[in-house]
Parts: sequence; C-alpha cells; structure tokens
Amino acid sequence: MCPSRLHRQLFLSRRASPILLSTQLVVTIWKFETGQPSKNTVKFNMEGSYGAPESVQKRFALPVDSEHKATEFRLFSVAAPHMRAFHLSWVSFFACFVSTFAAPPLLPIIRDDLDLTATDIGNAGIAAVSGAVFARVVMGTACDLVGPRLASAALILITAPAVYCTAIANSAASFLLVRFFTGFSIATFVSTQFWMSSLFSSKVVGTANGVAGGWGNLGGGATQLIMPLVFSLIQNIGATKFTAWRIAFFIPALFQTLSAYAIFFLGQDLPDGNYSQLHKSGDKHKDSFSQIFRHAVTNYRGWILALTYGYCFGVELTIDNIIAQYFYDRFNVNLHTAGIIAASFGLSNIFSRPGGGILSDIMAKRYGMRGRLWALWILQTLGGIFCILLGRVGSLSVSIAVMIIFSVFVQAACGLTFGIVPFVSRRSLGIISGMTGGGGNVGAVLTQVIFFRGSRYSTETGITLMGVMILCCTLAIMLIYFPQWGGMFCGPSSKGTTEEDYYMGEWDSAEKERGIHMASMKFSENSRSERGKKVESAPTPANGTPNTYV
Amino acid sequence: MAGSVLLVSLLLISCFEASCHGATLSSLQKTLIVTASPKKGQDLKAGEDIITVTWSFNTSFPARTDSAYKTVQVKLCYAPISQLDRAWRKTDDNLVKDKTCQHKIAAKPYSPSNNNFTWTVQRDVPTGTYFVRAYAYNSADEEVAYGQTTDTHKTTNLFQVEAISGRHVSLDIASICFSAFAVVSLFGFFFLEKRKTKNSQEK
Repeated sequence: MCPSRLHRQLFLSRRASPILLSTQLVVTIWKFETGQPSKNTVKFNMEGSYGAPESVQKRFALPVDSEHKATEFRLFSVAAPHMRAFHLSWVSFFACFVSTFAAPPLLPIIRDDLDLTATDIGNAGIAAVSGAVFARVVMGTACDLVGPRLASAALILITAPAVYCTAIANSAASFLLVRFFTGFSIATFVSTQFWMSSLFSSKVVGTANGVAGGWGNLGGGATQLIMPLVFSLIQNIGATKFTAWRIAFFIPALFQTLSAYAIFFLGQDLPDGNYSQLHKSGDKHKDSFSQIFRHAVTNYRGWILALTYGYCFGVELTIDNIIAQYFYDRFNVNLHTAGIIAASFGLSNIFSRPGGGILSDIMAKRYGMRGRLWALWILQTLGGIFCILLGRVGSLSVSIAVMIIFSVFVQAACGLTFGIVPFVSRRSLGIISGMTGGGGNVGAVLTQVIFFRGSRYSTETGITLMGVMILCCTLAIMLIYFPQWGGMFCGPSSKGTTEEDYYMGEWDSAEKERGIHMASMKFSENSRSERGKKVESAPTPANGTPNTYV
Repeated sequence: MAGSVLLVSLLLISCFEASCHGATLSSLQKTLIVTASPKKGQDLKAGEDIITVTWSFNTSFPARTDSAYKTVQVKLCYAPISQLDRAWRKTDDNLVKDKTCQHKIAAKPYSPSNNNFTWTVQRDVPTGTYFVRAYAYNSADEEVAYGQTTDTHKTTNLFQVEAISGRHVSLDIASICFSAFAVVSLFGFFFLEKRKTKNSQEK
C-alpha cells in the first residue's frame, strides 16, 4: 500500500466530510508521511473508543480501531491481514504441538526399539518441555525486534530437522536429544500470542489469544490419535514396526515445514505491513533490546503471571506426558484405551481455552481488568481442587469424568491468563509474553521433577500434591495491581493514575521527544475499555490538556 | 466432543473391567519340561536366527494329571534384568495382569511327547535377555500348567536377543536431506525479506 496514495485519499475525505472527521482519529495517516506526531485533535466518541477513518476502514475487511487492530473476531473469515494471520498462527502452533508430543503415543514401540527404561522415558519427557523455557523468552525478544512472522517461521524451520532426525534416533541419548530440540518449537506459542495482541484490539484480544492458543494446544491431544493412525497405515503398507514408527515422524515434520512456508509467504506482522518494511519507512521504530528487556524484567506483574501460568499450562503439559501411563498402570486399561483417554484431555482445548479467553473479554466489558483477575483466580483455583480430586478417586469412570472437568478449568485458566498479559506492558509485550510462556514450561519441568520422577510418590499421590501446589501458587494473583484499574481487592489508585501514565512510564523524555512512543500512546487510549462499565467519566491525564497531541 | 469420547471410553472400560480375575502362576503345576536351542548367554539376532523349542509332559507326575490339557502356547519371556525399570514388562502372579511373556512362539494342540517347533526370532522382538515358557490350557482356555527353560528365580539358562534397529540407509538420507532443505529455506527467507525491503525502499 503506497502511503502517499492513502494520504491523498484521506485528505479528500477530510474536505468532503467534516462531520466524519469530528468523530474520528487521523493521527496514524499523518505519521505515514512525516514520521512525526500528529498535529490533529483527537475526538472522543460517545462509546469511549477510537474508530479509524472510513477510508482506512475500507482497506480492511474487519472493523478496526485507531491502531488498525480488528475490533471484531470473525472465526470463519480468512481476510488478510487479521484473520489470515490468526489461522496461520494457530495452525503452525498446532503443528509444533503435534511434533513435540508425537513420541508419547508411539512409546510402546519406541521403547522396545531403543531399549529405553522408565527413567529414560521420564527424562525425555522432561527434556521435551524444558527446551521451550529458554526458547520462549528468546522468542518474545525476537518478536519485539523482528516481528512475529519472521520469528515464528524461523523457529519452526530450525526445529524441523529435529523432527526429521527422530527417524534416525538409535539410543536413549539420541532420543532425549531429539525430544529436547523438538520441544523448542512450542515457543511459537509466544509469537502466536504476540501476533494476536498486535492485530486484535483490547475488546477481542482475550478471545483471539484464547482461540489461537487453545487450538494450537489441541495438537497435544490430536497427536495421540494421529500418530498411532499414521503408524498403523505405514505398517499395513508393509514396513516392520521398528521402521514404521520412524517413517511416521516424517508426517509431523512435513506439516511443520509447510506451515513455516505459509507463514512467511502469506502472513503479515502488523495491520499496516511487516516489521522490516515499517522499520525502513520510519513508521515503526526499531526499539532497543536493552530498554525492552529492562522494562520487562522490572515489571513484577510479568513474574507473577509467569508463576501462575506454570500452574495452569505447566500442569497441562505434565498431564500430557503422564496421563496415559497413569490410566494404564492404575486401572489396567490397554495402551490404546489409555491413548484415547490421554487424547481427550488435550482435545478439550478446542473449547475450554478459547472459552477462557472469551470469558476474560466478557468480564472485562462489565468489570474491567478487575473482572479478568477475579475470573482467572476463581477458575485456576477450581482447577487445583479438581486436580486434588483426580488423585483421590479410585474408580475409572469417575476418574475420567474428573479429569475432563479438571482439563476444562485448567485450560480456561490458560486462556484467562493471556487475556491479562497484553495489558502488562505495551513496549515489552514480546518479552512479557515470552516470560509468561516460559514460566508455563518451568512449571511443567518442576512438577515432573518433584512429583513424577522415580518412585518417591505414586502417580496418584503426585497428582494430588500437584493440585495442592496449584492452589498455593494461584494465590499470587492477589498481588497483581494496576494503578489505573485496580487489583483483586483494591480499586484504581486514588491519585487518578491513567492508562497513559502507566504505559508512558515505559518511555523516558528523550524517547518521547523523538516520538517513538506513539504506538503505546494509541494503545493506552484503546485500553480504556479495561475500566469496565461502572466508570462514568475519564479522568484528566496528569500532565497537560486532555486528548490533544502537540 | 468430550462427552462422546467419555461415553466411548466408559463403554470400552466396562468391557475390560470384566476380565479382571484369572489364574495365578503360583497355583499352576510345573508339569511340562521345556528346552530351547539357544545356549546359555548366546546372542541371537532378531529376524535372522532361529530357536527350536521342544516340550513334553514330565512323566514323574501322576499319569492322569494332563487329562485336562488341550492346547499349549509357547512364549518368549523377559528375564528379570530386562524388566528392571520397565513397568510395562512387570511380572504379576495374576496371569491376566502378568506382562512377562509378550511374544508368542507357537500355539499347538497338546500331546505328552514329541513336540518341537522351530521359530525365527521375529523382527519386532526388542533387545533383551530372555527365557522360554510354555503354558498348557484346558478347553475353557484357562492356564492349567506350565514349564520353562529356566529355574524358579529365572537366573539360569538365559539367552540374549539383539533387535533390528529399524533404520535404513534410505531413511537416513531422507532425514538429512529434508533437514538440510529446511535450514536452506530459512536462509532463503531472510534473503528474500532483505530483498523485499530494499525493493519497497526504492519504490
């Protein structure tokens, strides 16, 4: 899209419809041309949100706000750039989950081929989720610096060799290594959430994040059904068992490679273009890594969310690794049945995680950010309670029922967490998303090492104790406080702190003079919706006249 | 979706819960004498080497003990060292839950003597240490007697099997080629991206 043409279009519309102008924001369009803050007045419309001018609106298939983020989420559309990016990101994340958890359903054959012991299998399971701890933080940084499209395509292509090479593993050590490197690919979670947060406005970001994350996580359940199917197909064609499982791994590997290609050629980082183009045109400032990093690690909310995410998503990963064996050993079902049960845990992601995201957005509409926090605490605590129950029930059918209820609450909590993450920081969104995502994997490593390794605890005791740990760590949500919106127990600060104060605090005056904080400025205005319906009027910003840029 | 999976699994489980109780190994009489061709400590290759098993009724038992025996199944069983840290090969006295003998060598009608069978070690037999056991079944298909090539503690007369790796040269080459292709594509992407940016800059 040629910037000057757009400017001309808008200039004409300015003359032609002054009424339109009085209710719309024009800042973005000026910036294309001059790369400087706008000289126009911003008007606040009746609903308290900023819509984009009509000519800009026509560029996009979905209604957009001042940052060109979509204000609606239309699941069955593939319109570029918003919904197309959504579909690209969830499908590629799904592919990565399929690859990472492709080994567990085929373990009965792999463990015979490679002569693995239970300890080898346990270690490989821990390795599969530990790589992503570090990778998710790095991914967050990469998204902040080069954009989610390049970052995710690059990671997916770099980890595809690990999946191909699973076919040539020949020992416990090589098996551990391929699972470790394949596990890095689920760091694409961060690019998925970052991409959704960049393309969807605060009204629907919880939903977009929840559906993308949930449908990606679905891969962990779908693979328990896909891999055995592919394996038996290959076996029927004529390969022996010990060769068929190796060939089977080419399927997730190819799927992964193709999704990387699709992201690169069909995706777009931001509504207005890709990072590299926007960097060159001067519209998107190339931020400094040290500044982004500093603002991320000094924001305590990021650390708290990282901890609590470890006890919803981390628990989900742990269960993905151990649940089939649990049902096999405790209730003596055969491996095929155990696989189906294991799959149903992951498959409930299709509605439970998106449900969490949607619930987050519904709560925010009425109660603002405080509603999001309460919903997260309540659902994650319920997840902990059902986890404790899961370890205590002795009958198979009740156990399955409890497991499914447990999966719904734990996955909804994941969706609710990422309804809050986009608001913790605007400048360091990538690293905060990465930290939270990494915290999820740390939780998975911790719970597996403490409760599910060796024979210290029986698996059912381990599950119960994990539930107790969920309850304890979820209490940390009570410590999250946003001065402009409040926390679980306190209202917004009596000093009248606004969204601008909070997000502008991430930029110093020199940076503000250069005008590189404008994206955060727009975001602060659009995030006013986090106040909820109960707030009647917008308080005056602490420094200067309301709603004017100079 | 979860509801239908729940229903299916409940149905499957009810089928399996029915077959919970069976004979125990300790209640069976060891009336069969079983010998196998591999010598103690011998290493067999899966898919290539053969095992010849012979079994017969131990005549030192009273004559009519074997009147109920109808069929015999000969199986390849894991020695204790191959069961270490591997719960999926655990020995359980309840024969329904027992996972010691997972590879079937032969199934034949019962006859008190002159039984032998030559078996090529199948290609899906994993690497490990083994012995051979034969079970005698009655007409209701329940275990009524057994015999094995090793002693009660499963320490004597054990032999090894070396499994096939399952790897083929063509698979190795395919893996490496596809991996290299993925990495080269990545560099291609970065190059394309740089070129696109330069072109849009020049516009």
